[in-house]
Amino acid sequence: MNKINNFGRICIQSAVLLFAVILWGCERDNFQKLEKRNWQITWSDEFNGLAGQSPDASKWTFDLGTGQDGWGNSELQSYTNSPANISLDDEGNLVITAINEGNRFTSARIKTQGLFAQQYGRFEARIKTPYGPGIWPAFWMLGENIETEPWPACGEIDIMELRGQEPHIIHGTLHGPGYSGGNPVTGSYALVNDRFDNDFHLFAIEWDKDKIDFFVDDYLYQRIERSNVPGEWVYDQPFFILINLAVGGNYVGFPTAQTPFPQKMYIDYVRVYQEVK
Amino acid sequence: MKTNILISLKKYIPIIILAALFMGCERDLPDLKPVTFPDNPLVFIDGFTAGLNYAAFGGSVPTAFDVDKKETYNNSAASMRFDVPNAGDPRGAYAGGVFYTGTGRNLTGYNALTFWAKASQSAVIDVVGFGNDLGASKYQVTIPGLQISTSWQKYIIPLPNSSVLTAERGMFYYSTGPVDGKGYSFWVDELKFENLGTIAHPQFSILNGQNQDETSFVGVEKTITGLAAVFNLPSGINQAVNISPAYFEFTSSNPSIATVDESGKVLVNGGPGVALITAKVGDAEVNGSLTIRSQGVFQLAPVPTRPAENVISVFSNAYTNVPVNYYNGYWEPYQTTLSADFEVDGDQILHYTNFNFVGIEFSSPTINASAMTHLHTDIFIPNALTGNAQLRFELVDLGTTVSGTFTTTITPGQSQQWISLDIPLSGFAGLSARNNLGQLIFVDGNENISNFYADNIYFYKDGSQPSSPATAAPVPTHPAGNVISVFSDSYTAIPGTDLNPFWGQATVVTTVQIQGNNTLKFAGLNYQGIQFGASQNVSSMGFLHLDFWTANSSALSVFLISPGPVETPYTLTVPTSGWSSIDIPLSSFAPVDLNDVIQLKFEGNGDIYLDNIYFRKN
Repeated sequence: MNKINNFGRICIQSAVLLFAVILWGCERDNFQKLEKRNWQITWSDEFNGLAGQSPDASKWTFDLGTGQDGWGNSELQSYTNSPANISLDDEGNLVITAINEGNRFTSARIKTQGLFAQQYGRFEARIKTPYGPGIWPAFWMLGENIETEPWPACGEIDIMELRGQEPHIIHGTLHGPGYSGGNPVTGSYALVNDRFDNDFHLFAIEWDKDKIDFFVDDYLYQRIERSNVPGEWVYDQPFFILINLAVGGNYVGFPTAQTPFPQKMYIDYVRVYQEVK
Repeated sequence: MKTNILISLKKYIPIIILAALFMGCERDLPDLKPVTFPDNPLVFIDGFTAGLNYAAFGGSVPTAFDVDKKETYNNSAASMRFDVPNAGDPRGAYAGGVFYTGTGRNLTGYNALTFWAKASQSAVIDVVGFGNDLGASKYQVTIPGLQISTSWQKYIIPLPNSSVLTAERGMFYYSTGPVDGKGYSFWVDELKFENLGTIAHPQFSILNGQNQDETSFVGVEKTITGLAAVFNLPSGINQAVNISPAYFEFTSSNPSIATVDESGKVLVNGGPGVALITAKVGDAEVNGSLTIRSQGVFQLAPVPTRPAENVISVFSNAYTNVPVNYYNGYWEPYQTTLSADFEVDGDQILHYTNFNFVGIEFSSPTINASAMTHLHTDIFIPNALTGNAQLRFELVDLGTTVSGTFTTTITPGQSQQWISLDIPLSGFAGLSARNNLGQLIFVDGNENISNFYADNIYFYKDGSQPSSPATAAPVPTHPAGNVISVFSDSYTAIPGTDLNPFWGQATVVTTVQIQGNNTLKFAGLNYQGIQFGASQNVSSMGFLHLDFWTANSSALSVFLISPGPVETPYTLTVPTSGWSSIDIPLSSFAPVDLNDVIQLKFEGNGDIYLDNIYFRKN
């Protein structure tokens, strides 16, 4: 089974790449034929505001400090709510800055927990990533029931993660019961001869009761259906949004002496839609 | 087996498809460009590409490079092998050479020179680079200290601005020596030019990214240094490369004040005025700039005239200087002083900026100044002083680790001009030995000097002149009835006159006997007053008479003072050759009230002998 699945994956990857190159490389207009959907916006933050301003407290709360065991991943940074680590830039972006303070790293992590959560829909953010070994930006979601159903039972949807030593590759991932940590359901998307820190890109998922589709710049690179997860499908409840910039940790490794600091993650907007039938 | 097939399929299917399709849709583009020179990106793939030659550097092992058909990247047909010699190899001390083409290549379509490499042991290659064509090597790019491991890895030399590389002949060069005396081998393969969209965030800088601001003068030449380029590689790490000035396009905002040529040499050619020197690399902004504030024509320090055999020079274009370790030690952590030395019409001048203290070291070898009598230094404070400045000199003898200090006062009137200081070595308090002088330190004594120029720093032997008069001053001949005397063995002085009132001066006042004649000595003069026993009406007098003698003073003036105080200086010519006698018309001291004079004052430097100070009638 596994081999067949693998072979199937390879065929899909090849087909997807073929598709990508034909349509992207030569003619971008005839893009993937996806079914039309009628999305209606339900929540957004455009991050318009004066430089140095903190993110809207009616939409976001902070995770602060070093968490337990570096937020479960041996991450090195200490999260703050200081404008030096997280603030608007007067150009329509939220900027999260990871700073090497010599004896420690500081950065920021925000979430909509307790303020906003939604089941199903389209979740998207336009982001320019940071870069460098040990740099780990993420745009992701957790099940709202995390207080009563601890991770991984609550479910985790990683819409975009990037390892700074591979600044041309992003990853989209599901963690749930039986498929979490080092063994999630995941897929990657690589830019050809370009990097995600050169310009903004749109990272999105479209999620319904049957599947979660992962997009980069509206290109579908991964579809995970109910039957694809090797455990329970825990994605039939509201999820809240998190955005953070981690330094170090199990997923990405440690920063090196050659990792440039400070590193900045620019978020132009976060928008959430619900499908109207 | 099936697994193996799957793995290889997994590996190659997407790559093959990608390659085929990209070639398919982009292949025509290079054909559309009208190119004068070939744009072949390949340098060494499985052998020398068309037109490629190799030349070993002089002194290197000529056979260090060879084509290797066994150890290759990805089992290709051949690689380049470099055998670094052991220390003491009679064939040469290192491995190094240039791969160049006879006719140029057009590399404008590429932004990197890339290759795969491995070494027989983990090693650091001293230099690998691009753009060495055995000639002008105008567009050189080098990575100093490239770490190579024992497995095949890809390495990238980013090119800063390939739009200038229209006819480039220097493809690749390298130079490196043994590690801990032992030779080793390294291999390079798949050497080619690429256009990588995964090289990001180039940062260029001049002057190490600093915005420098300098006072300057017509004739000053200065070369922009601190050229740097940093690129973020596809692995997310920053790679610094050294790039030649030709990649930078330098601009002056005001060429009538200062020009800058393509090598980054700045020449101040006008003023007063301001010019801003900036640079670009292609369209990219460059960090760092130089603001030139030209004051106009520069006045050079007086040219030294002492014979070279009497001089030990530390810094002067007039003499051969002794070995100097440094003119600015950047002593951490308290020193703030920076250097902005410059050259005017071939005369080099030290310029200390952001001054608090700074040391010059000449310890290898040290200076034996036992036969010397003086330290000479020319000082120029370019900014107007708001009050008196205390400049302290410290000399350190490294043999005995004693040091001595001498402080000179610089008045506001002495700023913005050269001050020539001749400091007797005997005047350095505490310097009990000077056989092994190793350091000269300048200290801002009262935080009044932000920056200054220095020139002609040398020790000298004042062999021609004694340091004190051998004979007494001439005996006055004016009748006592025509005289009001302040200091003279020939007349009765004003009763109660104080020859050394304490006005905060550094001068040491003594009365010495020269041939039995009492003579007033001001040692280490900065200023010195004489307080009359009572106010004097000298309106019926015509002159102030003085006899003075000095071998080492470079500035001396006398003031007459009436209450207010109203005081007027009169400049005396120094140093003297023997005793100088002068009769200063009292009218020179206007507007001092001659009906009511109370004090005299001397200002200047050096050791002064005075005698026969009196007012006299015509």
